Amino acid sequence: MSRVATAILAFLVCAPLPAQWLHYPTPGVPRTKEGKANLSVPAPKTIDGKPDLSGIWASADNKYLQNLAADGIQVPFQPWAEKLYKERSENLGKGRPSEHCLTHGVTDFDALGINWKLVQTPGVIAMLYEAYNHYRQIFLDGRPLPKPTQPAYLGYSVGKWESDTLVVDTTGFNDRGWLDDGGHPQTESLHVTERFRRRDFGHMDLQLIIDDPKAYTKPWGPTLHLNFQPDDEIMESICENEKDVPHMVGK
Amino acid sequence: MTKNVLIALIAISAPLAAQWSYPTAGIPRAADGKPKLSAPAPRAADGKPDFSGTWDVEHNKACPPEGCIDFYAPQEFSNIGWGLKDGLPFQPWARDLAKSRSAALRKDDPLSHCLPIGILELQTIPMFRKIIQVPGLLVILNEYNASYRQIFTDGRPMPADPQPSWTGYSTAKWDRDTLVVETSGFRDGIWLDTRGDTITDAAKVTEKFRRPNLGRLEVEFTVDDPKAYTKPWTIKLNQILQLDTDLLDYICLENEKDLSHFVVK
Repeated sequence: MSRVATAILAFLVCAPLPAQWLHYPTPGVPRTKEGKANLSVPAPKTIDGKPDLSGIWASADNKYLQNLAADGIQVPFQPWAEKLYKERSENLGKGRPSEHCLTHGVTDFDALGINWKLVQTPGVIAMLYEAYNHYRQIFLDGRPLPKPTQPAYLGYSVGKWESDTLVVDTTGFNDRGWLDDGGHPQTESLHVTERFRRRDFGHMDLQLIIDDPKAYTKPWGPTLHLNFQPDDEIMESICENEKDVPHMVGK
Repeated sequence: MTKNVLIALIAISAPLAAQWSYPTAGIPRAADGKPKLSAPAPRAADGKPDFSGTWDVEHNKACPPEGCIDFYAPQEFSNIGWGLKDGLPFQPWARDLAKSRSAALRKDDPLSHCLPIGILELQTIPMFRKIIQVPGLLVILNEYNASYRQIFTDGRPMPADPQPSWTGYSTAKWDRDTLVVETSGFRDGIWLDTRGDTITDAAKVTEKFRRPNLGRLEVEFTVDDPKAYTKPWTIKLNQILQLDTDLLDYICLENEKDLSHFVVK
């Protein structure tokens, strides 16, 4: 990534200043004798015996936000998708939805190293994102995925438990979102599978499977690592007073 | 005013009705399948009323003979003090500000710019809200701009100096079956309605949430903002349960075409 693109990215994602109320102790967090959060104890369970994924999380490494294939995955592009990806890269990411304060989708929210909160109930999970102050719902009540009729940035998500792994299927995406900031394309045929496994109190593995036969010849995706953020909160981060677009001149 | 209303309607084109309807679980129904909305409100595991559900505003505006418009807002959406006999107890500057905002045809209304709206307008905008109640936290998901608000019920104190924000910082405690929510830490100048009534950064808002039965949520708002009003004022903004439906993914900035048409007289 060029220095200009890095600078622009840093400029666009200016994190809000820390505030004192952020550091209220998170209730229910196991602690050491010194009062520090003990993040290596087993993951908590809900009353119905399922893993409780609730809490504030952030991707451990922001490199996946820039490129979901950062670990050296050979992305199985369809030719047109590869051409578009190259154009976006060479043009320093011009046209990225965030340039116009438009939201991330599922995969780039997952890869984002900014806090988000997971609120779990038996029938639905809400993900509250600090970025853009948007949310996403995952229905756990056994409903089927609907026939997609209204393409959307965040699609429609249903989840089910496979042993201790929450498997979430999402379809109903639009073709306007970018899978990551680098610009891996998506089409309306995109189907994302996320496999969430909370390894212990402080760590969650998230395997992403990107299945979009119009853009890729076979499914692909990284496994992300999420860190629990104790004694922290999500802030209201609104993309306002936007001054960047005129400076996004591309190559 | 007609032009003003027209702009408002264009700016907020409501999303199409979803084909995502799915039967809401756990609703008591009569023999013919009709939901019993007057049944008692459900209770959470801790015995407190459970406000969870998808809610629409209670409509208090008559529809014209030709039928209701798509974006069918209650009276308070355009005039938050509509139900007050003597109107809002303005400080003079706050009255003047609302007049000038109206005169400018809402050019600077955050709603017109896809920016967040305040917690009172979030209760009057005719787009659904969904409450998710878990121990320690009440989350309100707003269809408007796919946004959310957190209300902490874990006993934490109000921070001494909250960072000013659109939704403020909310803590709550139970008074029998009423959840009393205190919010402060607002940005200065938030719009309360489309005519431009305002609150300042000194505002404290108290909400009393009650669910008298399954189908109804009553929310009493008291606004105490000595900078903008000569005394506190109280209104009720009620919500009606919506079954077999859910929120849509509504991203206001997507394909936004209105701003360039905002022509001020």
